[in-house]
Amino acid sequence: MKPKNYDYYLIIITTLILFGIGAVSLYGITYYNYLAVNADWTKTAQYTRYIDEMNSYIYPFLVLLLISLGLCIPKRLFEQDMMIKTSAFILGITVILTIYSGLETGLGFILLAITAVQAIVLILTIIKSRIIRFEKEGYVVRLGSSLLHFGVVILIFNFVNFQDSPYHLLIFWSGMVLITSGNIFSFYPEKVSSLFPRE
Amino acid sequence: MGYNEYMAARETLGLIGQPVITYIFIISLFLGILSIIYLIKRENKYFDYLLKCLYVSTGLYLAGFLILAWFHMQIYNTVLIEYPAQMRQMIPVESDRFIIPLWIENEKLYFWAMCASVFALTVKRRKDIMSFLGVILSIFSVIVYFWSNPFNDPLPIVHSEIMSWFAALPRSDMTIFQVAGTLYGRITYYYNSTYMWTHPPLLFIAYASLVITFAACVFMLIKKEKIYDEIAYKYSKIGYLLLTTGMLIGYPWAIEAWKDSAWWWDPKISGSIMMWVLYSAYLHSRIYVSQDKMWKTTAYLGIICFASLIFTYLLTYIVPGIHSVVQP
Repeated sequence: MKPKNYDYYLIIITTLILFGIGAVSLYGITYYNYLAVNADWTKTAQYTRYIDEMNSYIYPFLVLLLISLGLCIPKRLFEQDMMIKTSAFILGITVILTIYSGLETGLGFILLAITAVQAIVLILTIIKSRIIRFEKEGYVVRLGSSLLHFGVVILIFNFVNFQDSPYHLLIFWSGMVLITSGNIFSFYPEKVSSLFPRE
Repeated sequence: MGYNEYMAARETLGLIGQPVITYIFIISLFLGILSIIYLIKRENKYFDYLLKCLYVSTGLYLAGFLILAWFHMQIYNTVLIEYPAQMRQMIPVESDRFIIPLWIENEKLYFWAMCASVFALTVKRRKDIMSFLGVILSIFSVIVYFWSNPFNDPLPIVHSEIMSWFAALPRSDMTIFQVAGTLYGRITYYYNSTYMWTHPPLLFIAYASLVITFAACVFMLIKKEKIYDEIAYKYSKIGYLLLTTGMLIGYPWAIEAWKDSAWWWDPKISGSIMMWVLYSAYLHSRIYVSQDKMWKTTAYLGIICFASLIFTYLLTYIVPGIHSVVQP
């Protein structure tokens, strides 16, 4: 049996956050069903209020998910103590921005910060840098994990801050390629490795 | 080619397909009974019989699928939407024929059941999981036969659209413009859309793979053997990969086809998000499956995930929304 460590508790927390997002979605289904008393209700202001309400419920969980991803990723760059301080610093600025400039600005900041960290992690993983630390062994698995996390953050960033941008779909497809390739690399590292000749 | 040929193809589909689905139903009943007997008695002879039943029913599912494909080709060949010349100048008509996917209306559950049968054959060495799947597949087949039979009243919505076209053709009023306009949208953004040919099949193949994960998770609770976790994980990887890709493909499709409609936080979308995050949670918890309590947590999560999958599938039929067939 593996000893319980920091990563174990982080996984538990991430699982609980994902469960929380599931619970919000379930609430959304129930609430939508309650509101849909006539076929045209989505053309009324009530639908806009419903969307805003659902977004306001999901955003805190997204922040928590991003923080857990953020805690998950910088651990590969920093020691645990440094990582907690960095995460607390990012979270502190996010909270301040949320209070003074609104939830979307706060979320935008944390997304920008974590996207930057993820991009650095991905580059360091690709060049096989020794300063990066991973729980998992194997280059392809590490690359897959980095691609997957980077893709998830890119997609959330895109949904939250680039909905009306002309590059929205382009960013979406980029995120999708990252997630799909990340999944394939993480799930089937041996098969992916066998496709490339060894040095 | 036209109305008579289309109707003849529809009739032929029923004549050939109805016996096929009836045989699937009967053999699946045997499959279910033999699976239950094997699970109780654990005698190999029953397993051999149930395996044969599964081979035959899967073969019949595939044969029925080919018959459906033939019918879809007949729709393509026999139904031509002759858009009025003025309309062609106003809208960019890409196709004037229906290219109907094989996973819509009463064909989608058939497609899912067929994929699940094929997947089930890949775990035939695990007799306990295989026999449990036999029970699940027999339930699938009963539901397909009675409530989602693609050979009994084939594609009712497509049929009503085609009939509305043939009814409008001889009329000299504006009806033909209205019908052609409606069908243009349906053909361009729904039936013939590349997204329609990728988004649903990826999801249904994912669902089929996740049926095996569910069965393995049930056995994780019954027997604490590593092999069940390995099987659950093996099929959840396939399922999760296809589920994620399939769901994401739906996003640009929604933007393109529903740009003026209310689709965000639609119940089916909320359900899909719920299902996806639960499977993500399952894959996360599975990393520490060997830790105390995590074995059961992971197994229960796998079962909850499957319950959410079934719930998400049923949402189309029970809750109103843009994906749904029910209205308030």
